[in-house]
Amino acid sequence: DKVLAPAARKLVAEHNLDVNKIEGTGKGGRILKEDVQKAIEAGSAK
Amino acid sequence: MADKFDVIVIGAGPGGYVAAIRAAQLGMKVACVEKWVNKSGKTVHGGTCLNVGCIPSKALLETSHKYVEARDDYSELGIEVSDVQMDVKKMMARKEKTVANLTGGISALFKANGVTALEGTGKLLPGKKVEVTGHDGNSETYEAENVVIASGSVPVEIPPAPLTEGLIVDSSGALEFQDVPKRLGVIGAGVIGLELGSVWNRLGSEVTVLEAMDSFLPVVDEQIAKETKKLLGKQGLDIRLGARVTGTDIKDNEVVVKYTDSSGEQEQTFDKLIVCVGRRPYTQNLLADGTGVELDERGFIQVDDTCQTNAPGVFAIGDVVRGPMLAHKGSEEGMMVADIIHGEKAQMNYDAIPSVIYTAPEVAWVGMSEQQAKKEGFEVKSGVFPFSASGRAMANNATEGMAKVVTDASTDRILGVHIIGQHAGELIAQGVIAMEFGSSAEDLALTCFAHPTLSEAVHEAALAVEGHAIHMANRKKR
Repeated sequence: DKVLAPAARKLVAEHNLDVNKIEGTGKGGRILKEDVQKAIEAGSAK
Repeated sequence: MADKFDVIVIGAGPGGYVAAIRAAQLGMKVACVEKWVNKSGKTVHGGTCLNVGCIPSKALLETSHKYVEARDDYSELGIEVSDVQMDVKKMMARKEKTVANLTGGISALFKANGVTALEGTGKLLPGKKVEVTGHDGNSETYEAENVVIASGSVPVEIPPAPLTEGLIVDSSGALEFQDVPKRLGVIGAGVIGLELGSVWNRLGSEVTVLEAMDSFLPVVDEQIAKETKKLLGKQGLDIRLGARVTGTDIKDNEVVVKYTDSSGEQEQTFDKLIVCVGRRPYTQNLLADGTGVELDERGFIQVDDTCQTNAPGVFAIGDVVRGPMLAHKGSEEGMMVADIIHGEKAQMNYDAIPSVIYTAPEVAWVGMSEQQAKKEGFEVKSGVFPFSASGRAMANNATEGMAKVVTDASTDRILGVHIIGQHAGELIAQGVIAMEFGSSAEDLALTCFAHPTLSEAVHEAALAVEGHAIHMANRKKR
């Protein structure tokens, strides 16, 4: 299971994204706010 | 030839002793060489930090702060004490007891972990051999699979103010005064100068701090540095910037200091003068010819990101290599190096090393200042929250200072956290952990902080980045 930072969790919910399609760059593969921002921009996690 | 070791560490300061303990924990056969002896001639572990640095200075800062609180602040709280006295000799004795306990603790940890303590001066010979010259002059040579150099640093001496027994001293001497000097001069308004100046100022010295640079604490965020100068000035530290010392004279057991500032040549007389303009790497008699270990132009041992020198199997850590001269930086490098020797892919994050100045209020920071972030090309957002709006700070009667969070405007990632206030040195750990995990300001803002605590100022500063602080009127964003 992917671990998300608090702000990333919120952004994923807002944009209804599939977390499995987001690559985490944080410590231990944690998904950061900026990773979700990138996924939104690229439209890669719908 | 004497014993052969997997690892020989030269130096038992925060870098060396941690490297030795870690390496022993990983099952390696480890020796640690130390030449430091205490006043009774016994080898002591712990290096500069434990013997003449972090620990003794904090002991004096804590005691002198308690004294000032009792003298100046208790009445305001309704605590009436009369005729508060400071017994300097007793303060010093307690400091020395603290140091002795801790250095003895390191020696005990060596024993518990099976680290062989070698007493004397270590010198690296070619082929990863280490020559240890004992205090009796006899030497013995040991072989090692790996050598870790952790020889540390010493105070920088300056020609216009040569050390003079009991009158012109370095930081070590300033931790040993047995009386409060009436007029105290400090050369250098860095961390060490401000801490030592604070100790003696609190105990009654008239303190003048002469700083050659025109800017105050240039590595600290400007807003925080400005507040620091204001608050320390209010306490009585007369900090003079752009004041370059040109010479000193000893007359009738007094020190006359000559310096130039923007209005020309000046002269001032002190009872004691502390020289704390900086520290330099210590490599005297450390390296024999042909070891392959190279120094850079400033005298630091050259290493890569993993602290490996130009000689295979020889590592160097702590103050003798590049990077901030901080105990915890040396210790982290020590752990990394022990892990690497053990075959692990260890690394350390140089972007999240906290710094603390243990004045009152304390000043602490991690990461980039707002100015540095801009210089690095970031578009920056920041949030600031003053302790004057913190319920806990009010209850504590310690409302000076603020917390500040600096972020990358496009990703919201935290680039730096800066705090001036009571317990800032403890609070900054939250910023360090946040940065280690790549936290955004929003991540901190969405985190629950206990009430009432000083930590809430960090929370509010994170909220303030987007103008959403609850407990203050947010400034309109441009």
